Amino acid sequence: MTLPDRSTLSRREYARSLVAVGGATALSACLDASSDENGEENNVPSGTDDLDSLPARQYAWNEFAPRDDNGNVQPPAHHVLLPLALTERATANGEPTADAREVTESALRTLERAYEWSTDGLLFTLGYTPAYFERFDEDLPEVVDLPEPEALTSREDPSFDEFDALLHLASNHPEVVLEVEEGLFGDQEEPERNGVVLESDLTEVFERVDENRRTGFVGDGLPVEHTDVAGVPDAVPEDAPFFMGFRSGFDRTQASEDHVTIDSGPFADGTTQHVSSMDIQLEVWFEQENHYQRVSKMFSPEHAAEDLVGDVGEELGADSGLSDERIEATAADARQEGVVGHAQKAARGREDGDPPLLRRDFNTIDGDRPGLHFVSLQHEIEDFVRVREAMTGADLDVASANNGILHYIFVNRRGNYLLPPRELRALPAANPDA
Amino acid sequence: MQDFTPTTDETEIDRRTFVAQTGAATGVLALAGCFSGDDEEDEDDPDAENGDENGAGEDYGDGRPTIEVEDPPNAVYLPTHREAMRMLDPVEAGDIMLGPMLSYPHDFWTIAGTGEDAVERESPNSGRGVHMMFTLWDQQTGTVLPVDDGVQIRVYDGDEQVGSPVSPWSMISQEMGFHFGDNVTLPEDGTYTVEVTIPPVSVRKTGDLVGRLDERVSATFEFEYDDEFRHEVIGGVQYLDEAEWGDRGALEPMDHGDHGEHGGHDGHDDHDHEDEHDDGHDHGDHDGHEQDHGDEHDHNGHDDHAHVPYSALPQVEEYDGTILATADDESGADGVPTDHDSLPRSDDAAILAALFEDGSADAERLSDDGDGDVTAGQYLLVSPRTPYNRVPLADAALSVTVERGDDTIAGPDAVLAETLDSEYGIHYGLVVNDAQIEAGDSVTVTIDSPPQVARHQGYDTAFLEMPPVEFTVPEQ
Repeated sequence: MTLPDRSTLSRREYARSLVAVGGATALSACLDASSDENGEENNVPSGTDDLDSLPARQYAWNEFAPRDDNGNVQPPAHHVLLPLALTERATANGEPTADAREVTESALRTLERAYEWSTDGLLFTLGYTPAYFERFDEDLPEVVDLPEPEALTSREDPSFDEFDALLHLASNHPEVVLEVEEGLFGDQEEPERNGVVLESDLTEVFERVDENRRTGFVGDGLPVEHTDVAGVPDAVPEDAPFFMGFRSGFDRTQASEDHVTIDSGPFADGTTQHVSSMDIQLEVWFEQENHYQRVSKMFSPEHAAEDLVGDVGEELGADSGLSDERIEATAADARQEGVVGHAQKAARGREDGDPPLLRRDFNTIDGDRPGLHFVSLQHEIEDFVRVREAMTGADLDVASANNGILHYIFVNRRGNYLLPPRELRALPAANPDA
Repeated sequence: MQDFTPTTDETEIDRRTFVAQTGAATGVLALAGCFSGDDEEDEDDPDAENGDENGAGEDYGDGRPTIEVEDPPNAVYLPTHREAMRMLDPVEAGDIMLGPMLSYPHDFWTIAGTGEDAVERESPNSGRGVHMMFTLWDQQTGTVLPVDDGVQIRVYDGDEQVGSPVSPWSMISQEMGFHFGDNVTLPEDGTYTVEVTIPPVSVRKTGDLVGRLDERVSATFEFEYDDEFRHEVIGGVQYLDEAEWGDRGALEPMDHGDHGEHGGHDGHDDHDHEDEHDDGHDHGDHDGHEQDHGDEHDHNGHDDHAHVPYSALPQVEEYDGTILATADDESGADGVPTDHDSLPRSDDAAILAALFEDGSADAERLSDDGDGDVTAGQYLLVSPRTPYNRVPLADAALSVTVERGDDTIAGPDAVLAETLDSEYGIHYGLVVNDAQIEAGDSVTVTIDSPPQVARHQGYDTAFLEMPPVEFTVPEQ
């Protein structure tokens, strides 16, 4: 792949495009760019040799991320999803070998020594598909709900993640996610970070499924830097963290890490992850609808009528302004207002008022089109399915175009994963207790 | 193609004038320069600037054709021009036929809700591309499918996908009736392939549609985007006499099969255009017309253009039930509407209400949506449609209250379920099986929210603030 032309891009845009390209050359260009910027080697805090000090949950990210003035977690800005397929030599009789486990664990520990466990360093999870677990004679414990992914609406025809595992790398530093990927899977000289050489034999265990590699970014002001991409209109608001122009991930609309945790059995301190990848039609959203219509469709008609949101959601603070009344009004709004909001609708999937999903989604321009990689953690995949059904709103008496944001999203892929506890993250058996 | 773009002597003059103005400037810049109705946008439109650089964008000046209608009535009105379009051969998508139609990117209005803020005018900021439209209909029954369940289109240039996928709007236009459409930007001239996927039709279905159209289906078609196309769709535009712009009335449907039935704009302000329309349908040929459109035959590869059904609902007399009388008796004998023009209006939507008696074939058919759990009874059918052209007004929410003196017979505000029937088309209906509606009962139809369909010019100011309509059940 050719590198992006630096002269025409801002530094952040350049760095983002390097993450999308990946590879050793992109990494070295990215490192050059970041040292130019700071006039010195870019500092990334180093990790620890005391690996027991790290959290038991792979997805324990929140307390290692900053929060905004309203208390909302600020997610890491740059993301790579690396799809992985087990190599033949990593298995014996179909099951992973002890050697393969050791190599995997050792590679991950190397990362933890090189980088601080934080958004400023590196956060990562390694999850496994139902297809991976099928190789074992035993079933997953009953407490783990991990079905094969399936189409969740009548209008979608997605492909499925049927490889074995997914490594989600995230950092505020684009060069970190790049050099980690390069260290694990590159075929050139291993990068070095904070005195740790990022060498690994992980390629003995996993092959990267290149065609399903995914990248992205999230944060105030990042989407607007991509208006050079076809399909990303100039109208994307300056401060918006997401392409559709509004904030998301409000503290009170997110499940806590505790809430999504599997609390018993060998996978206690694990969770399930759903990853769906979708195109987003932004030109129609921004150029054919006005702000009032967008607010009606993203939040609720009442949010629009009462002007509760502000330009990009800055008026909403730490929640999405969804009172029980507004959630319960969804069906009535469909008939009386002719439009319902995405947030209002999806909130019907809450149980006892608690949001069931911990969203860690991010924007993408993979394939040179705007989109979203929707990464969601929940206790059971069933929780996700329930929220998605509520969000689809097939029960609502409303035109499809006014049914939240359904008119604008086009799901291409779905995958389900188990994120085992850190202790079992390296090629776990389906039932480690058996 | 003669009945496809009917002309009159009057509009012929306008059209020639228009062609003379734009003749030198085909293509993108003519589109950008001529058809964007928004002057402000034109000024920072890069395509318009390119036009100037080429020395071709400067002819438009003050005489530039416009789609602006000053102060249109809050009713259906005549737009400034008739659109021209290229019709492609219909393609099959399972049980569904899809008739693609292409024009230049143009203005339309989206609607998401009920108030003024909920309506937005889309003005394409790039003239490069097409207004892509298609009508969907069931092959078996010929029923046009006027419902939005999330149709998707993806445009390809060879193997390469162009832009993001699009969910086209469900839309109504005077000439096209109900269709799906959107402005689609194209990067350059070329041959494009369009993949359309149609999800299951989820609206309540009756008659020959029960248990059908339940699969997601798809179809593809190709089109050429080039100078010839642009010339055809621009050159074919016909301007109405400016004095008519904004007059109450509607353009006649394109390519509709029932010329004789159209017309009858009685009781409306403008009788001139009524005459003109009636004449227009019968016009055999126009020399200019032949010249301009002769080349279309080559694209389609046959002499007759593909027939795409127009979504007109049946005439009043075709409903084999009791047509409810309007409460304020202005229309027809005994207050019972006898034809389309005597139907009561709500924000200019004509509202037909019919009652089918228990045991009648219609009531049985309309009560049975295949679920098998509804006891047949009387069936109350409410069918809002556009004045003049009888285009169905889909994706509204309607409810009904039936009263006899102080007693409520049905309701209050019983939901009328949007239903697609193989005979009576899209309507809103209620099975009445726990009461009996009788002569003399009052029937109040409330429009909870207006039809949430995008609108071409002339439909943008009607069917928005729709007051309830009161009917009474007449003596048999």
